[in-house]
Amino acid sequence: MKTTRRQFLGGIGTAALAGAFPMPALAQAKPKLVVIGGGPGGATVAKYVAKDSNGAVEVTLVEPATQFTTCFHSNLYLGGFRSFESITHAYDKLVSKYGIRHARQMAQAIDREKRTVRLANGTNLAYDRLLVAPGIDLKFDSVPGYSEAASQKMPHAWKAGPQTQLLRRQLNALKDGDVIVMIAPPNPYRCPPGPYERISMMAHVLKAKGHKKARIVVIDPKPNFSKQALFMEGWQKHYPGMIEWQDPKMHGGIKGVDVKTMTVNTDLASYKAALVNVIPAQMAGKIARDAGLTNDSGWCAIDATSMKSAVDANIYIVGDASIAGDMPKSGFSANSQAKVAALMIRGELTKSATFPARYTNTCWSLIETDDTVKVGGRYEPKDGKIAAVETFISKTGESADLRKQTQVENMGWYAGITADIFT
Amino acid sequence: MHCWSKFLSLTGSAVLTLIAVSLSASGQTSSDKAFGQYLSSECVTCHQPTGQYQGIPSIVGWPEATFVEIMDEYRSKKRENPIMQTIAGRLSQEEVAALAAYFGSLSPPAGGSPTKESQKRRRRQ
Repeated sequence: MKTTRRQFLGGIGTAALAGAFPMPALAQAKPKLVVIGGGPGGATVAKYVAKDSNGAVEVTLVEPATQFTTCFHSNLYLGGFRSFESITHAYDKLVSKYGIRHARQMAQAIDREKRTVRLANGTNLAYDRLLVAPGIDLKFDSVPGYSEAASQKMPHAWKAGPQTQLLRRQLNALKDGDVIVMIAPPNPYRCPPGPYERISMMAHVLKAKGHKKARIVVIDPKPNFSKQALFMEGWQKHYPGMIEWQDPKMHGGIKGVDVKTMTVNTDLASYKAALVNVIPAQMAGKIARDAGLTNDSGWCAIDATSMKSAVDANIYIVGDASIAGDMPKSGFSANSQAKVAALMIRGELTKSATFPARYTNTCWSLIETDDTVKVGGRYEPKDGKIAAVETFISKTGESADLRKQTQVENMGWYAGITADIFT
Repeated sequence: MHCWSKFLSLTGSAVLTLIAVSLSASGQTSSDKAFGQYLSSECVTCHQPTGQYQGIPSIVGWPEATFVEIMDEYRSKKRENPIMQTIAGRLSQEEVAALAAYFGSLSPPAGGSPTKESQKRRRRQ
């Protein structure tokens, strides 16, 4: 992702400029929302507050990049089912259609006393309400021997962008008989079925290339994983003998990686691999941690009825950085939480009506061409957390027609949610 | 369909006004246009408000009675999609009516009512 730092003003579209800057008196009359992070959580809050307040709230999106590559469907890019361009979305419509100010800067610090956000270029943005949606940071040292530098050789690809492209290049360069090792992450982490969809997409690529001796080893710190029965069934059906998933009882513990020799060591074995995908443990993005918005878990506690921070009444937190109870960390969840937060923020800033929070999520996973499964549910605040009210999951043994229809739905959802976030 | 048919023949805005009255009378949150708009924000994660079909059926520009009927069929699990069963299951009849009015008021793509193709797709799902 492009992270060049530009002048703050350089990121502001002419439409927004006309409305936002001219007369300080006018500008001061408007309540200010600052949004940190332009992912599915932050961008959705920015859009919905700007759109539904009809310009009554001055909305600034703090995001260094000019476009966003979605983590969701980045596995489909890996598998050759989508182009990189098709999972990349510009922010320009948020500026031109809704008058959102786009500050193309990294947010460096939050001053909760003064209610300001300091940007990398030294600008301070004042806020009445702040939305913090920084997503995840990776705990590189959760896997001994791994580091940010090592990710250039053993990609994590858990933040979509150049890492995803690197992983695809490595995958496409494999020769028949080469070994892939994935180190899966411990809970909680972004996109629970994601590692296993990724394994499926890797297997799909190798199978499509006609590899007969391909071997993919998954070293998992968890005893079980999301949609496990569905993935296991699909792997057996489409990729027999190719994928070897190991829980802690099978590998005895992850000892670490050696980047130089491309080796993964567990208590019971050592694997020399041509491709190593390390997905480390995760925590809320740095700015949330630095601002004291996280608790001992490394994630941000929120009020389940509003997505407001548990520790600061002027700050809301949505998406992967938040502790959202039974909701998984997903783009769909972030978008759903964002609509609740946007409603509550408008209620506070413009006295508009608010309604009880309700949340939804669905995660689709592609196992092989036209074979897609899904899991999801609806959620409501209950006993101080976001609790699942009703959930559903695809069944093993479903018909090929239903699985194909589920993939059509998956693609339709992607088109819908990205239109909802970015246009 | 119960007492709703008469109700649904009213215009969208009238429906919303009536709902507001009926809900406040029953002690629930007011259901004005803002409520319909908030409810619709859940739908548009998948169903595009422009009515564009890219894998998930368009729900804009439908006759309100059709919208309510289909949601009833999800609620009673006559229709099989578990996502829609879950969504419909938590909506009250007043909320479904508000959504029917809201999406009914939006224009389908290329003008006119839903095409035969989109009707067919809808029936399948």
